[in-house]
Amino acid sequence: MKKGMMNTVRSRGAATATRRALLLAAPVLAGLAGASGFLPTSAQAADTPLVIARAMDINSLDPARTWCDTCQIYVSNVYEGLIGLGPDNKTLVPRLATKWESNADQTQFTFHLDPTAVFSDGSPVEAKDVKWSWERLHNIKGGPSFMMDGVKSIEAPDAHTVVVTMDAPNSEFLGILTAPYTGAINSDVAIANGANANADADKSDTSEAWFMANSAGSGPYVLADYKADDELRFKANPNYKGTKVGISEVVIKNTKDAVAQAQLLESGGADIAMQIDPDTAKTIKSDSVAIETVPSYNFVYVAVSPGAKGNTVKLTKEVRQAIGYALDYNGTVEFTVAGQGKLQSAPIPNGFPGTDGLPTPTQDIAKAKELLEKAGLGNGFEINAEFPNMNVYGVDLSLLMQKVQQDLAKVNIKVGLTPLEFSVWRTHVRGDGIPLTAVFYAPDYFGSAQYIQYFAMTEGTPWWKRAGGANDASITNAKEGDLLKQALAAPEAEKDKFFHDIAMEMINDRVIIPLVSPNVVLAHAKSVKGVRYSACCNLPLDEITRE
Amino acid sequence: MYRYIIRRLIAMPLLLLGIVSIAFLITHFTKGDPLISIIGERQMDNPIVIAAAKARWGLDRSLPEQYLIYVGNLLTGDLGTSLRTKQGVGLDLLQRLPATLELVVAAMLVGSLIGVTLGVAAAHYRDRAADHFARLFALIGSSLPVFWSGLILLFIFWYTLGVLPGPGRLDTRSMAPPYVTGFYTIDSLVAGDLRIFAESISHLILPACVLGWAVMGIISRLVRASMLDVLNQDYILAARAKGASEPRVLVNHALRNALIPTLTIVGFSFAYLITGAVLSEAIFSWPGMGSYAVDAARNLDYPAIMGVTIVGGAAFLLTNLVTDIAYAFVDPRIRFG
Repeated sequence: MKKGMMNTVRSRGAATATRRALLLAAPVLAGLAGASGFLPTSAQAADTPLVIARAMDINSLDPARTWCDTCQIYVSNVYEGLIGLGPDNKTLVPRLATKWESNADQTQFTFHLDPTAVFSDGSPVEAKDVKWSWERLHNIKGGPSFMMDGVKSIEAPDAHTVVVTMDAPNSEFLGILTAPYTGAINSDVAIANGANANADADKSDTSEAWFMANSAGSGPYVLADYKADDELRFKANPNYKGTKVGISEVVIKNTKDAVAQAQLLESGGADIAMQIDPDTAKTIKSDSVAIETVPSYNFVYVAVSPGAKGNTVKLTKEVRQAIGYALDYNGTVEFTVAGQGKLQSAPIPNGFPGTDGLPTPTQDIAKAKELLEKAGLGNGFEINAEFPNMNVYGVDLSLLMQKVQQDLAKVNIKVGLTPLEFSVWRTHVRGDGIPLTAVFYAPDYFGSAQYIQYFAMTEGTPWWKRAGGANDASITNAKEGDLLKQALAAPEAEKDKFFHDIAMEMINDRVIIPLVSPNVVLAHAKSVKGVRYSACCNLPLDEITRE
Repeated sequence: MYRYIIRRLIAMPLLLLGIVSIAFLITHFTKGDPLISIIGERQMDNPIVIAAAKARWGLDRSLPEQYLIYVGNLLTGDLGTSLRTKQGVGLDLLQRLPATLELVVAAMLVGSLIGVTLGVAAAHYRDRAADHFARLFALIGSSLPVFWSGLILLFIFWYTLGVLPGPGRLDTRSMAPPYVTGFYTIDSLVAGDLRIFAESISHLILPACVLGWAVMGIISRLVRASMLDVLNQDYILAARAKGASEPRVLVNHALRNALIPTLTIVGFSFAYLITGAVLSEAIFSWPGMGSYAVDAARNLDYPAIMGVTIVGGAAFLLTNLVTDIAYAFVDPRIRFG
């Protein structure tokens, strides 16, 4: 046999072998596919776990130490609080407390606990557990410890009554209690596993590792399993006193980007995708997926820091107002979230106390130029913008800042853009300050005080410090602090007026300039019902059912 | 040879100490604040909360103190506690290493078997269609970035055709088998759960092919070059003259000798794949060392970064050693001094 012929025969043999291999492989692949069940399905059986695709940002599962969006979902569904937030995201509804009352000057609050409430191990929820949980929340000195700021004492006169006395009036304390971090922990179980509520709990409490693998709450779900960076698994709490949950097992699957979440949802691998942006939502074509967008209380803002060391000119109120007038708010909403968002006037979200009737932000280039001229900066100036290199609530901060750059160029302000890792951005903003930046905020509970305590130009607030209040006294606005005290001491019917006045002051400060309040895209399988956005708790799992 | 191995093993801790020291300095001089991942953005301006967090995690001590404490703990086998997962870094790595090893072993199998086969075929059919195809395939594999090929293959085989599963080690609704080795393929068999076994195999196919393709390119080209060299040797002519069949000549006589340089690449590739699985793990939501390293770096989780560095360094040192030893077995001419 000639060599060439031999090769031809061998080649044919090889081709036949390849075909044979493919033929053999096909049923194997099909078998694997069938056995593993990954092929797209339109609906899942009612008894299979509900899968939620989202980027997990969990930093702890200890209610006193945790602080993140996914943590809100976990804590609110596992550690029930005394007060909940109704579906309208405004009304306070009973949870562990069946009723509550406060004294006239809003310094003392009394809660009456549901005597039928029990923890997941079947033991009763008592006032001592609530007192212990709140004292621990304060003494751990963790992310959510500020929830207990201003609390003078917590008493448990009997097993089902909790009395909280404040240092100063705080009409928003009831709203604060809707924050999931204030949920009740089974103190006996937690103490047995190294937890304590002593004044030195930040040093002596050794329970966090236990909380990462176990739960001790009275919420509708308990922790089934947690694999960091992979999945968080809940199972129904058999002793839950409320309405029996519709889904017995829920898995939050770590899925880092919106596109992957959408694909998982369309393929049937997930039932709910939580961080789909409007552009990605448009790519979803599956008939089995429902998409709705609802307004959120999250917002993205730019911040101008007059006291930042990198400033090339003095950022007086006139200059800041010029920046405010130069920005194209409607264009930003279109550019960043394809119109799926709302304008926001003040650093208090639309719909929160005090925001009714605030002026709509508008672009006015002529006015901006006039103000700059007045400030002696008619020829413009250069300013450096550093911002976290992130996509938050569907807004890509890099894109947003490019839009800001374009807008400010129209009034001769040249913006240099420097995206940073979030941890680096933090160091810069707390160090020398950043002349111009963009960040985001999501509410911790329904109430406006949290925004004033964070954004107002009152001495000592985080943004007063970051904006360089210590270097530039002109930005201090003591009036905002005084108005806040009045708002917190006011009866429910009157407090909105004070918050409105503070909002107007904050708009006028022009240090924090909200640009867009992006809508939340609720994307889920059509067979899944009851998916909603909660201002305090992100996603109430106990309201979800599946057909 | 045993003395050589012992000498290398004794040198390893010193080399690791060097890696640890450099990594410690680089990590701690990086601009950024790790506290943000511990206490969140809201409290980052609260001095009481900051002080408590710093004290708890030992960040209130001077850098030399932190270094000495870290190295001291390291000597007792304590890699510290992750700022993010709140469990021991050693345990974190133990939980993630099997995921990465399972992927890397599968990728190496794919890369080596197909790479060697393609290399042999390319050499045997030099300058013919099979050779051109093998070389083109190899070139594409080693040129394409894994994040791109991973996304494309996912899009085609999972999202569009639905013939292979999507990201993750198992289907989203499935529970991992009880932990024995951390390899789902093995643990599912130990548990007698064939459904999970099939699932874990099917989930391995795409990431292993993507990762293996990159290595396959290098291996096949190297095997081809070595084979071409070996096939021209006199002993191959002698083997053919003695009437040995062509497969026997190729596999027993040529390949065995051509594999020596390939072993080096396979050894290095293994370590490279372990530390370089970052992108493929991110694309395939594979909860292994790579994704752990990325999250650790993004959050400035110092102990986790150090842990990954130590494991990566140890992997390189060990695979170097194993490769050197393997030389001696494959090539009797090699002697260690």
